[in-house]
Amino acid sequence: MTAAPEHVEDRQRQRVLDHAAGVWSSASRYAVVLVLLVVLFVVFSIALDRFATWPNIENLLTSVSILWVVSMGMTFVVLTGGIDLSVGSLLALSGLVLSDLFNDAGLPAWLAVIVTLLIVSVIGGAVNGVFIGKVGLSFFVVTLGTLSLYRGIVNIWSDTKTTYITDPFLDGIGFGKGLGIATPIWIMLATFLIAFVVLRWTYFGRDVYAVGGNIDAARLSGINVARTLIMVYAIAGLCAGIGGMIQAGRLGAASPLVGEDIPLNAAAAVLLGGTSFLGGVGSVVGTAVGVLFIGTLQNGLSIWGVSSFWQQVVTGAILIVAVAIDRLQQGGIRVRRRRTRVAATGGDPPAPA
Amino acid sequence: MAQPILHSEHVHKRYGGVHALRGARLSVFPGEVHALVGENGSGKSTMLKILSGQVQPDAGAFTFGGAATTFRSPTDALRQGIATVTQETTLAPELSIAENIFLGHRMVRRSGLIDWRATRRRAREALARLDLDLDPAVPVRRLRPDQQQMVEIARALSIDARVLILDEPTSSLTDDEVHALFGLVRRLREEGVATIFVSHRLSEIFELCDRVTVLRDGHTVAEGPIPGFDRPSLIEAMTGRAFEDMEAIEHGGDAQEALLRVRGYSLPGVFADVALDVAPGEIVGLAGLVGAGRSELLESLFGLRRGSGTVELGDRPAHFRHPREAIKAGVGFVPADRKLQGLVLQMSVRENLMMASTARIARLRPPRPALELAQVRSAISDLRIRAHSPRVPVATLSGGNQQKVVLGKWLRTSPRLLLLDEPTRGVDVGAKAEIYRLLSEAAGGGIGMLVSSSEIPELRTLCDRVLVMFRGRVVASLAREEASEARIAHFAGGHQ
Repeated sequence: MTAAPEHVEDRQRQRVLDHAAGVWSSASRYAVVLVLLVVLFVVFSIALDRFATWPNIENLLTSVSILWVVSMGMTFVVLTGGIDLSVGSLLALSGLVLSDLFNDAGLPAWLAVIVTLLIVSVIGGAVNGVFIGKVGLSFFVVTLGTLSLYRGIVNIWSDTKTTYITDPFLDGIGFGKGLGIATPIWIMLATFLIAFVVLRWTYFGRDVYAVGGNIDAARLSGINVARTLIMVYAIAGLCAGIGGMIQAGRLGAASPLVGEDIPLNAAAAVLLGGTSFLGGVGSVVGTAVGVLFIGTLQNGLSIWGVSSFWQQVVTGAILIVAVAIDRLQQGGIRVRRRRTRVAATGGDPPAPA
Repeated sequence: MAQPILHSEHVHKRYGGVHALRGARLSVFPGEVHALVGENGSGKSTMLKILSGQVQPDAGAFTFGGAATTFRSPTDALRQGIATVTQETTLAPELSIAENIFLGHRMVRRSGLIDWRATRRRAREALARLDLDLDPAVPVRRLRPDQQQMVEIARALSIDARVLILDEPTSSLTDDEVHALFGLVRRLREEGVATIFVSHRLSEIFELCDRVTVLRDGHTVAEGPIPGFDRPSLIEAMTGRAFEDMEAIEHGGDAQEALLRVRGYSLPGVFADVALDVAPGEIVGLAGLVGAGRSELLESLFGLRRGSGTVELGDRPAHFRHPREAIKAGVGFVPADRKLQGLVLQMSVRENLMMASTARIARLRPPRPALELAQVRSAISDLRIRAHSPRVPVATLSGGNQQKVVLGKWLRTSPRLLLLDEPTRGVDVGAKAEIYRLLSEAAGGGIGMLVSSSEIPELRTLCDRVLVMFRGRVVASLAREEASEARIAHFAGGHQ
């Protein structure tokens, strides 16, 4: 036996171990929510006859499709350490732009959809992105401003009235099927895959993590921080637009009222999925878990006949608990040790500092 | 000698798989300055954290003032009389000196309101004890770094500490400030306070300390009075290897033609009329006190600030408006604070190493994993970075290895000029020597370097020439053989 093969074997083993450790360290951030999701799923499947059926699962997925798509875009923003509060308003705005292009300008529906998506991403990047990335204002100030700004424009422009958009293409986005699966689910899958690949396997994805992880180090390494931020808010705008298209497809209309609770729900999903609000850590896989958790909870409780207000209470409580458990796992060991120590020695608790 | 004031034995601490302390001991007597030394990863900081109650040991016996005890929390350690002053200042910048001194234990009247008059009086007393002439009402943010450190010490002493832990107190202080601090520590020694002093600078340990404890791999490998040690024996105890004296590294750039040429370069209020040349392969040092404008000069050359004057890099004007332009022209910058500016700590060694050299590649092109991994592995072995895989977050590496990652990041861009600010701050002796070797190898490859450092021995080891700055001006240019510690300090202090 020579030493060489052992050495190679060792390295391969090490590589596999490293890889496993990497997967675990990113998965551990949403492990709690993933476990809760599985538990929830099992409990609902046992307790509710109608739950674990394909039509219901399809319904569940379709009902979270808008949140899902918007949350994917939101993940990019949160990874840079920001948050985009304006995505709900952009979602409503995209419906109006679509209706204008289709009903008034007479563009064919598919073209109207593409142009709309371009317009909302440009708006997202050019307004939020430029003010945050180039001018250097706080993301909170800028997106809180545009949240109100776009909503105002939507209300003025639409005169708070819903306009109908009747077209088979759009109807297909909302209710069509491909290979027996609803179109919104296909759109979810596509958005997820693209977001995953971009974040994981492109230099741009690395920039997003670097900017969120340490903006100064990124800038000093020559990364174009302003461009990265502009792109990220454009992506959030694009995803809001895609959500708006699904919404318009499902309603068959552009309504000025849609999307009001989307930004906070998307933020909740991203957080549940273990992406750090400080930026630099997280993934769209986690976000997917977060969205599915919210969707499963709402779907199951609805079947159960629990009011949507209780769903809000439960979602909020679990959001806090999940993050608290995560925090205790990562940094709270010290606190717990100290407590047991005090209890064991029967000493006084530490005096408040 | 009398009984130790603080004694700890058989101290064990594990962090997950890492055995940080394996039976270490530390014994400190009243009225002595006790050096605690060891390389990064020796368990030094774990020991300090245990003594200050921040971390609980897995095992260990502790006595304080002769009685067995434990330190259950930072408050508990403080109450027993162990006060800690760390590298990072923990003062509240907007509050006054008096408020900071009594932050944890306010002077409260019976009514439950704060007794401001007593607070100010006691603060004045605390400052007077340290011979500090400061107004207790001044907000801390207006103080110099050394004054802030003094206030921290005043705060530590205001609780009548019997043991004072100073964890790298001098890393951001100038020579004069260090002397002031040493004076203070000596006065405390006379009052019977025991000081545990941690520093990477061995000269300070020999100057100030009475006794030393050396940690290596979690064990106490040596302890005793300072006169029983000399520099080589102390380094040998810390590293476990025979000491090779760090000789001045010869690489001598031939000063035929300047790579970097700076003339009449000014930034109002920061530096003025700076003229300097760096030849290819030459290492030029920048000495001077903190605030002399060294860091700001490097930052301006890298495009982070806008100076005016003539700057040429290889015959072409080099007024960069942004780091990206500087990098494109072949300039790299190793900032003074690697954690704040040098690295993205959560990202892997690999991603950090590749960050600068791939910053201009098309953004949607996927990194080529196999090629990249090969490059990263070769960088890791060239630079002798100790990381068990390129995938581990750079935050898990020791200070010296982190600094090598920062260096490696720039060497991968094939730079013509490297600007380095405090290239070995917070790095242990062994890693320091390796970084010097890497830098002189890089200089041997024709890279010009401008190195700013507050450690004069470092400049003397590394540089072909040392420029001394005082209040934003270059006041002296000393060749290697003229650049004695005394002469550099002379010019840095503003003397002609």
